[in-house]
Amino acid sequence: MPISPLLSRLRRVLGLNLAALFVCAGAAQLRADSSQVAATFHRDIQPMLENYCYDCHGDGSRKGKVAFDELSDADLQAKPDLWMAVLKNVRAGLMPQGEGARPSAEEIARLADWIKYQALGLDAANADPGRVTVRRLNRIEYHNTIHDLMGFDFNSEAEFPPDDTGHGFDNIGDALSISPLLLEKYLESAEFIANSAIPKVSRVLATRTATGKDFLKDDGSHGPDLMPVGKPAHVSHTYTVADTEDYHVVAELQVRGSFDFDPNHCNLILTVDGEPRHQEEVIWSESKTLKIDEKVHLAAGDHVVAFEMQPLEPIKTPVQLPFQRGGGQRAGAAQKEKPADKPTDKDKPAAPAADVPPVADVVAAVVAAADAPAASKPGPAGAPADAAKAAPDPAAAPDAAVDPAVPASLKVAPVAVRTAARLDLRIVSVQINGPAAEKYWIPPENHSRFFPNGAAPAEPVARVAYAREVLRDFATKAFRRPVDDAKLDQLVGIAKRTYEQPGKTFEEGFAKAAMVVLASPRFLFRVEPVAAGTPVGASAPVDEYALASRLSYLLWSTMPDDELFRAAAAGRLRSTQAAQVARMLKDPKAQAFVKNFTGQWLEARDVEFLPINPVAVLGLTGRKANAPGVDFDGVMRRAMRTEVEMDFDYMMKEDRSVLELIDSNYTFLNEKLAAHYGITGVSGDSFRRVELPPDSPRGGVLTSGAVLVVTSNPTRTSPVKRGLFVLDNILGIPPPPPPPDIPALEEAKKGIDGHEPTLRELLSAHRSSPLCSSCHSRMDPLGLAFENFNAMGMWRDTDAKQPITAAGQLVTGEAFANVRELKHIITHERRLDYYRCLTEKLMTYALGRGLEYYDVATVDQIVARLDQEQGKFSVLLDGVIQSAAFQRQRNAPSAAVADTSGRTHGTNAALSASNDSR
Amino acid sequence: MKKQPIRPADASLQRHLSLSRRHFLRGVGACIALPMFESAFPGSLRAATAGAAAGAPGAVTASGMPLRMAVAYFPNGAHQANWWPTGEGSAFELGKTMQPLAALKNSLQVVGGLDHKEAMPGNDGAGDHARANATFLTGARARKTDSANIEVGTSIDQVIAQRVGHLTRLSSLELSCDFVRKSGRCDSGYSCAYLYNISWASPETPAAPEPNPRLVFERLFGQGAPSERRANFKERQMTEKSLLDFVRDDTRALERQLGYNDHQKLDEYLTGVREIEQRIQRAENFGDLPDPHADTPAGIPADYGAHMDIMYDLLAMAFQTDSTRIATLLLAGDGTNRAFPEIGIPEGHHYCSHHRMNPELMDKVAQIDLYYMQHFARFLTKLEQIKDVDGSSVLHNSMIIYGCGNADGNRHTHDNLPVILAGAGGGTLQAGRYVKEESQPMSNLFLSLADRMGMPDLARIGDSSGRLKNV
Repeated sequence: MPISPLLSRLRRVLGLNLAALFVCAGAAQLRADSSQVAATFHRDIQPMLENYCYDCHGDGSRKGKVAFDELSDADLQAKPDLWMAVLKNVRAGLMPQGEGARPSAEEIARLADWIKYQALGLDAANADPGRVTVRRLNRIEYHNTIHDLMGFDFNSEAEFPPDDTGHGFDNIGDALSISPLLLEKYLESAEFIANSAIPKVSRVLATRTATGKDFLKDDGSHGPDLMPVGKPAHVSHTYTVADTEDYHVVAELQVRGSFDFDPNHCNLILTVDGEPRHQEEVIWSESKTLKIDEKVHLAAGDHVVAFEMQPLEPIKTPVQLPFQRGGGQRAGAAQKEKPADKPTDKDKPAAPAADVPPVADVVAAVVAAADAPAASKPGPAGAPADAAKAAPDPAAAPDAAVDPAVPASLKVAPVAVRTAARLDLRIVSVQINGPAAEKYWIPPENHSRFFPNGAAPAEPVARVAYAREVLRDFATKAFRRPVDDAKLDQLVGIAKRTYEQPGKTFEEGFAKAAMVVLASPRFLFRVEPVAAGTPVGASAPVDEYALASRLSYLLWSTMPDDELFRAAAAGRLRSTQAAQVARMLKDPKAQAFVKNFTGQWLEARDVEFLPINPVAVLGLTGRKANAPGVDFDGVMRRAMRTEVEMDFDYMMKEDRSVLELIDSNYTFLNEKLAAHYGITGVSGDSFRRVELPPDSPRGGVLTSGAVLVVTSNPTRTSPVKRGLFVLDNILGIPPPPPPPDIPALEEAKKGIDGHEPTLRELLSAHRSSPLCSSCHSRMDPLGLAFENFNAMGMWRDTDAKQPITAAGQLVTGEAFANVRELKHIITHERRLDYYRCLTEKLMTYALGRGLEYYDVATVDQIVARLDQEQGKFSVLLDGVIQSAAFQRQRNAPSAAVADTSGRTHGTNAALSASNDSR
Repeated sequence: MKKQPIRPADASLQRHLSLSRRHFLRGVGACIALPMFESAFPGSLRAATAGAAAGAPGAVTASGMPLRMAVAYFPNGAHQANWWPTGEGSAFELGKTMQPLAALKNSLQVVGGLDHKEAMPGNDGAGDHARANATFLTGARARKTDSANIEVGTSIDQVIAQRVGHLTRLSSLELSCDFVRKSGRCDSGYSCAYLYNISWASPETPAAPEPNPRLVFERLFGQGAPSERRANFKERQMTEKSLLDFVRDDTRALERQLGYNDHQKLDEYLTGVREIEQRIQRAENFGDLPDPHADTPAGIPADYGAHMDIMYDLLAMAFQTDSTRIATLLLAGDGTNRAFPEIGIPEGHHYCSHHRMNPELMDKVAQIDLYYMQHFARFLTKLEQIKDVDGSSVLHNSMIIYGCGNADGNRHTHDNLPVILAGAGGGTLQAGRYVKEESQPMSNLFLSLADRMGMPDLARIGDSSGRLKNV
């Protein structure tokens, strides 16, 4: 390319920005040089096509409506879709088909170069960054951005409708539309969030709040969230106050009962430093809130607030328990016959012990529902068996203090009763408020976030100045770039009009302006203004604020933090980008990238909700069907997702090879997931890196539960889906979609060799149809390699009582005996396909648009570097971040839009022809 | 960190949780009890009369009642043999799938012979599910794209809403029971936007449906406890109004800074601004919000049947109170692989629908079709029980399409689509028939309905070739 050296010299001479303009103009001229394209085609390419392709695509053959000998010279530059398809198919080894001669590596490279730099007219040194449609924040980004900006957790998943996706990701500008309904929700949310997150006053009564989970049992462990009313309990929390003064202890508790009446009740005692301050009886209610407010005088220092629950004897219902105290039976007590009369070992009074099971489990007596026969015979008074039936609760030993005169042997603690009914108490919150005097008041929570200098001055001019200051800060963060003076004037005006109204505070005025900010398109969209002076059709670097947002939404799915803002404001973000990225990856917020990228690239999100029927998957019948013995609950599903996320996270943080995502001798497990996989020696709920034995089929995402499940049907595996998943998401060579009219397979279903056919046999029958074979011979062997894993990702040796054969051969010729060998092939012979696929996925996610033909040179460069560096993740990420597409933007004119939209349409089909098997 | 507090609606909901739980246990499904009282629409009648005086009577029956139109979309086609009735005209017997509609046989017509040619592959290849969905109410061909330049056509409900929507508080209502998005690509190179939307406000912009019953209810009847809803609503309108003034100007200023491609997104935003302004204006004309005498429903029920029922209930309430006359309900995006363990079908719907004539799978498809039909029948029954002030039922004064853009899910056909037209359109539809039309565009039916909604001047929609005469 004769023009390149000249351009690089120009760039050196003229400096970056100016050169960029020239380069783009140069690129346009380059594309127009059709005589050179034709000359190189006839000299270098046509002989190659004649040699390898004309059997099907020339000399009268037009397979797939492609005939290379029909191309005119003018066609050469006008068919980017065709050349992209050629490039993809030849590089992936899919073409030429059949036994004939195949092009050498050198020939393929020559063809690729000609396609990229002649037919497509790309300029590798100055790639077209393409166009990104302004991106609306998706639900996740909205949530995270509100979290960082407002210090408020807004449930965007419940409040907003799901986002439409494109190219498999939910952050694609073109697919994220904004309907009137959504705008309405944005307006409502702006109001709701501003009102909820921004304090309305500058100083409030000091409160120290603890919630239920802050209350500990005497042994220091956490109490249960729901404390059964029938069971004694003592939980406490320690508060610190700074001043010796009067305070209020304000507690809110919830009584939560089952719909059925529960006869249990208890005394609830609130103590402060051991001294009872409040006592009340808690009886059954479906839902009731208890509010306690007690004034206390506290010295500066630590103070213990505790709740004690003392169960009382169950309330009489139509059926009642014998209740014995001091040897006598309570008058009128009826006895329930059946369960109580049948002594079991549970009927024995348990000896008081430190470690006792929950009351409900040791209690034998059962109160029947209200319609139980009332004609039970009274029990023999004072019979020892009855005492036993009363089942003293050993844990209720403190009760002894209530009546010390009663001999220990006869002491009967209040009885917890086990029925379908339940009654629990939950501590919602306990606050110590005060002191009440105004001099002790403090700024409310979140106040300093919006008002860093505290309360606003009273003097009107200073007040406006302060409003301007805090609104400038806020709007700059919210818009993720400086706010101009005119806009700021408007915001200050809104705030002022509100706070000047009688009874309104400065903070309320600010909140009103904040609502406007949150409803603004500058907040809802990621606005990237075109640099002033960029000619139409040319490209320029995005400004540093846009770069900050591109980085933070890529790696954190949220707005830039202060450090990024500072770097952008000082104009040093681009020059310190590598350090910033390293810092960002270390930040816990980078989990958002791991979660959202793997969740969509590997579809790991879906493992949490796709229907799976364990009974059907395991083929259980009869009694076993009622107790499959396999947990496939939410905990298991989340564990599977965690495995994939930790695998990716580890690779990313340790900067290991992306090949390890496919093949590794380790994975991340906890006890539950390890047991599911049949791996021993892992105990506990926490996940850790587990080394796998050399012959383990696990290791890598392809044999992770998450991927195996999301590529299955609810009742059985789907080798087609699994094969397609590998082609689509790992090798990046999706087959064309299936024909519209799928032929019936009845003959195959009738049975093969006298037995019920296995899936492999069915699919093999399928492939015998020429219509199906061209694609299924690519998908099925890949999918069948995973047949040893059922639809829940568990190992199995047989399917339909036939042994499973996982061996197969790729359409490119590589043979494998099992899934381990398949992984080896992907990470060796086919590694470039995988590098390219992963690069394309990451670029799509990072850019918020589908890839176009003009991106192919960028992708190729990243792939080449990745291969040199053995797949190091940082090479991939740096490559994407430093690409022109990420760093620059095209000033898209209407003409260029018309030009690309036509191409885009077809190119997409060629680049990412996808599947039909949801 | 502040957590989102429980909203007032949720609090009131919790008070009634036990009640609704019992309802669920009894299999009633929805947790709002819809009282059977007469429909009430003073505000809109005024508007309708005013419209009539101006010479443009829209969406009104001959007796002056509101004329409503709704569309419910079920996915993946129908079991053919069980779907179609036997006989013809008024002498017909319902097939197995439509047995739940037996009591309503005279309030509906089954229409055969309607096609969506634009949903057929043509030069676009695979992607029949996306096209089935996207073409269903647009009659147009969806541009095959994963994201860039999404385009299909304005859907008939939106076309009509843009004309007569001003007669009611909300110009239209778009609902969905499909709220979980599968990752990865949606269907053969089509954007997911085509699969999860049947209403399109413009050829490029889907009118995204609302899946959350609580939010639908709050949109219709206000937020909070029943006694506070009206005040809350007014306050919200005030706030929205003040926000709109600012953001409109802001958007226009922004437009000048951005490239051409971004204008479409900002236009979407500005369209929203305009629509909300109009809605606020209308709300002021209509006076107080109607009181549905019902509790605010919870969020999305875990049970799919309950979710469908509650969305149908909300639709009935919207019609009953004349809050809108136009609504769509996407029960599930076409191609859904939802399993139905509640009726003993652990396999996915899409998997079953490609039954390859396997009787076992075909039977499962039939059962799923029946399940959907039971919920639709419950809805129609409800509409039949609510009376308008002219003494007719709301069902009589409605036109309800129930159908799918796939005819035979096994083969992905788009001709002779399964379509039911329920309701008598205020007496303008000849209900109680099985009509075998000559093969023609489904869009022709849309034009016939548009006539009745007050748009006889609508020349065409999508691929329409004329009007369906015999309805």
